[in-house]
Amino acid sequence: MLHSSPIFILMLVLATSALAQTPSGKTPDGKTSLATNAPQDQPLSTRVVAYNINAHIDVKKKTVDATETLTYKNLTGQPLTTFPFHLYLNAFQADSTFTSETHFGGGIRASDAANDYPAKNVGSIAISHLEADGYGDLTESLRFVAPDDNNANDKTVAELQLPKPLAAGASITFRMSFHDQFPESVARNGYKRDFLMGGQWFPKIGVFWQGKWNCHQYHSTTEFFSNFGTFNVALTLPKNYTVGASGVPTGDHLNADGTRTLSFYGEDIHDFAWAASPHFTVTNGTFLSSMGPVQIRVLALESHPDAGRRYLEIIRASMKQFDTRYGPYPYKILTVIDPEPDSEMEGMEYPTLITGGTSWFDPTYITEITAEHEFGHEYWYGMVASNEFEDAWLDEGINSYTEVEVTAAILGRETNFVRFPWANLSDAAQQYASYIDMPDYDPVTRNAWQFRNAASYGGITYGKTAVLLETLEGIIGKDTMDEALQTYFMRYRFTHPTAEDFLRTIEEVAIKRGRATGNYGKQSPSQMPALRGIFPLPNSPQILLGSSLRPYFNQAIYGTAVLDYAVEVVSSDPAKWWLSGSKDKSMRDTVTVRRIGDFMLPVILEVVFSDGTRVREHWDPASTPNDRWKTFIYLRDAKIVSAEIDPDHTVQLDASRFNNSRTIAANPVPARKLTNLWTSWLQLASQLAGWFV
Amino acid sequence: MARRRSILWSGLQLVLKAPGALLWAYALNLGLAILFSLRLHAQLAAILDHSLAAERLNTAFDIGTMIGVVHRLNYMAPSTGATSYIGLPLYLLGYFILVPGALFCYRSDAPSRLSILASSGLSYFWRFVRITLLTGIVAAIVLVPLSMLQAAWSSQVDDNFVGVAALERQLPGIAILFLVAALLRLYFDLVEVYTVQLGDQLREDGKPDRRVRRVLLPALRTLWHNLGRAYFSFVALTLLGFAALLGTGYLAMHMLAQPRVWPMFLLAQAGLLSMIATRFWQRGAETILAFDYPLLSPEPFVVEPELEPATEVDLPTHFAGDAQPDPEPAAPSLEEPDPAVFHHEIPPPPPAPKPAPQSEEAEPRKGPVPWWME
Repeated sequence: MLHSSPIFILMLVLATSALAQTPSGKTPDGKTSLATNAPQDQPLSTRVVAYNINAHIDVKKKTVDATETLTYKNLTGQPLTTFPFHLYLNAFQADSTFTSETHFGGGIRASDAANDYPAKNVGSIAISHLEADGYGDLTESLRFVAPDDNNANDKTVAELQLPKPLAAGASITFRMSFHDQFPESVARNGYKRDFLMGGQWFPKIGVFWQGKWNCHQYHSTTEFFSNFGTFNVALTLPKNYTVGASGVPTGDHLNADGTRTLSFYGEDIHDFAWAASPHFTVTNGTFLSSMGPVQIRVLALESHPDAGRRYLEIIRASMKQFDTRYGPYPYKILTVIDPEPDSEMEGMEYPTLITGGTSWFDPTYITEITAEHEFGHEYWYGMVASNEFEDAWLDEGINSYTEVEVTAAILGRETNFVRFPWANLSDAAQQYASYIDMPDYDPVTRNAWQFRNAASYGGITYGKTAVLLETLEGIIGKDTMDEALQTYFMRYRFTHPTAEDFLRTIEEVAIKRGRATGNYGKQSPSQMPALRGIFPLPNSPQILLGSSLRPYFNQAIYGTAVLDYAVEVVSSDPAKWWLSGSKDKSMRDTVTVRRIGDFMLPVILEVVFSDGTRVREHWDPASTPNDRWKTFIYLRDAKIVSAEIDPDHTVQLDASRFNNSRTIAANPVPARKLTNLWTSWLQLASQLAGWFV
Repeated sequence: MARRRSILWSGLQLVLKAPGALLWAYALNLGLAILFSLRLHAQLAAILDHSLAAERLNTAFDIGTMIGVVHRLNYMAPSTGATSYIGLPLYLLGYFILVPGALFCYRSDAPSRLSILASSGLSYFWRFVRITLLTGIVAAIVLVPLSMLQAAWSSQVDDNFVGVAALERQLPGIAILFLVAALLRLYFDLVEVYTVQLGDQLREDGKPDRRVRRVLLPALRTLWHNLGRAYFSFVALTLLGFAALLGTGYLAMHMLAQPRVWPMFLLAQAGLLSMIATRFWQRGAETILAFDYPLLSPEPFVVEPELEPATEVDLPTHFAGDAQPDPEPAAPSLEEPDPAVFHHEIPPPPPAPKPAPQSEEAEPRKGPVPWWME
């Protein structure tokens, strides 16, 4: 049910005021949190950082001048002397690592293949002043570093050296002034026409993770990795602009100079983004999650009159699916931004804010799939905050898998991408197509910026991961897979899990449900994961040493082997071939199955006979790894009608599905259909060329 | 005063009177497309005919399965699709012969048999190639700057508008481009018609007049004096052709999910035939215009729609005469033609050349040279 935006904002502002005036710091409903529906009076995450930013946006010059106060809590257990900061707007310069990678290897978004770098695409962020409480002016201590490729011209990471270390457990407050120049968008942020997208727009500290700082440069294919904390941000810009931002709106103040200052507050999030346009129309809705009500605030362009409704409907349906399948959405708001067309800012995720992607005419479900995918990132990136640089598959890949599942439940499994009266396309097929395009150049676990190129990154990280998880679902069962993902989400939300955290969770659940076997051993205290937030990890002294799923993980996730099985030969011959013309009907039926790829997975073969019987065979090539083929022979009074590998269609990872089956009788219709299309196209092309004569 | 009549109606009659040109062009179009799709079809059949995965293309049309087929095809035989396009230049080659052949038949009332289309078309082949080159040059001079303007305008619009508002602003630019391109095409169509008309005439040295430049101005003059109706007819027929194609294409697409191919094939072919038919209709209309405004005619004259029996071929004068080789005598020893002997379809002996009615320059028709000796 829709309800008007001003009322909600008014409620939030009142709540903010109440919070400010209540000595206990609690809201009138007794909860501490303004921005989340946290069930207990404590934060959802371990809050490492607290940002306070006051920004003035010049919408004509596309610049931002801001002051930032950052309080960093040293929870690393060791003294810290250096502090790296992301300065990602500097990626949009000709000599940056990002631009070089995009130019030579292609980009997920714009591929800068031209031999010039237009001035309008130049972006920058400059810290004009930096000091730290108790340390004085540190501006001169900042220096650019390039930990990934030593590119001396890359200015996307700056490192600060403290004159004296920050003790373990202590906090430090940095105060800085910075200036942004937004580029006409190349990827993810900047401006397009009069639309502005503030993503990666402020100096953001790196993550101390696994015993060291993790602060990668901005790369062509990678996204982000940050600390959980709180964000209190005030944005000042012309009053005719409508603004959407991470967190909940907490204030709207009209200034004497014709500008307005909008305040936002977010907690238990790890990044803050905003978008502004004078052409937004607002559509509001609510979803009642299992943790409380969530406002869905859609800011859609006037030029996309149907977008507000479409975004709202799919987000509400997606929230319901995620809430049921994986766990609750704990924040009080989700803002959906409809960016300008052709802006390279479509389909992007930030905590509690996503950008969609649509057009004035979209007869497909691209609008819905984009919105669902980005909402899924609120789980796989927003809350389960894996390292997107080093394990991009943990957010993009898992999210692509859940996208297939969730949109199938909402829009139909075979029609959740295109549903025309005369044709259909499933999202799963779309993921599969991207996977088989480049299936074996890179393993899914590779550092995102080290893939062969952007196409391989996309095909493997999104497509292959989705397909391999679908295959895993076929191996351990749908219910087990859903429970494994729910366990993974609930256990690792508001933390930074690794690939092994994910895989071990699946193994654990699959073993518990009897869908896999495993062996446990003693766990040393150093291997005990720390308690994080309010969702403790199982405090078990046992550690899973291995499982029957490992061979699959090793091949599908850590390896590059291609899975391709084929029914090579199907034949039915008279068993007593020397008695030609006799009435003996006994047949010698033969099926030969071949393993073409190097990937070894047990396969099921179903043979259908002319008397209607069906026989299922099992072949585990791992038992005889040197064998590439196996022949099944039957003596019976019936001929083979067809033979099919994977008759239940659970092994989605098979790189060629057409050779998985073979029928004795030919069906010429599919080939003729496609030939007819091609012939008609050739005729049309010829006729069009004929217009030159 | 030149005769004015409905060029659309009369043009259609002309096309229907000599349907061979249209049908042969369509047959060439379809035949080459089928021929150069055979390899693809063989590959598709190898992938799909015995696979259960192809069922999704049988009683449905699963785009994902089609993408999988394309991927498989690229893996098995990556050049299959590209080689199909060899048919395109071959079609253009044939079209370079069929179009002047058609114009010749329209002009001369000759039966539109393939032999006549081919022989007359070949005689004009290089002239049409020259005209096409000229068309390309003029189109580049006119349309490239216009396209650049359109791109600049489009970019300007794109900077400020999106969605339908942007489309509404960009469409006029695209429409102007289309209309200018249509005008250029119409003009050069007329050049081609007049080139065929000029081909009837012999120069003082007895050779056919192949000077394309001599028809440029008359074509322009005719276009100028008939701009409204000629342009309207041309644009209307162009739009009609594309509308027919889109309509049948739309209907054909809705048959994609059916487990049979022929309804979709027939509908698609109906659209493609309509499109090529409207193009020949345009040629017919332009021929009528050229009839009404004949070349090199100091005095306006009327072309009587005098149609002769199909067997009486009105070949240009330079087809007849002394240089025409005598037909070989039939072998007396055979009662029937020897099937082992290749038989040319020899056009019947041309009638005596008609007196050239239209111009003084056309009079000195003597010593004609057959086109194959030129």
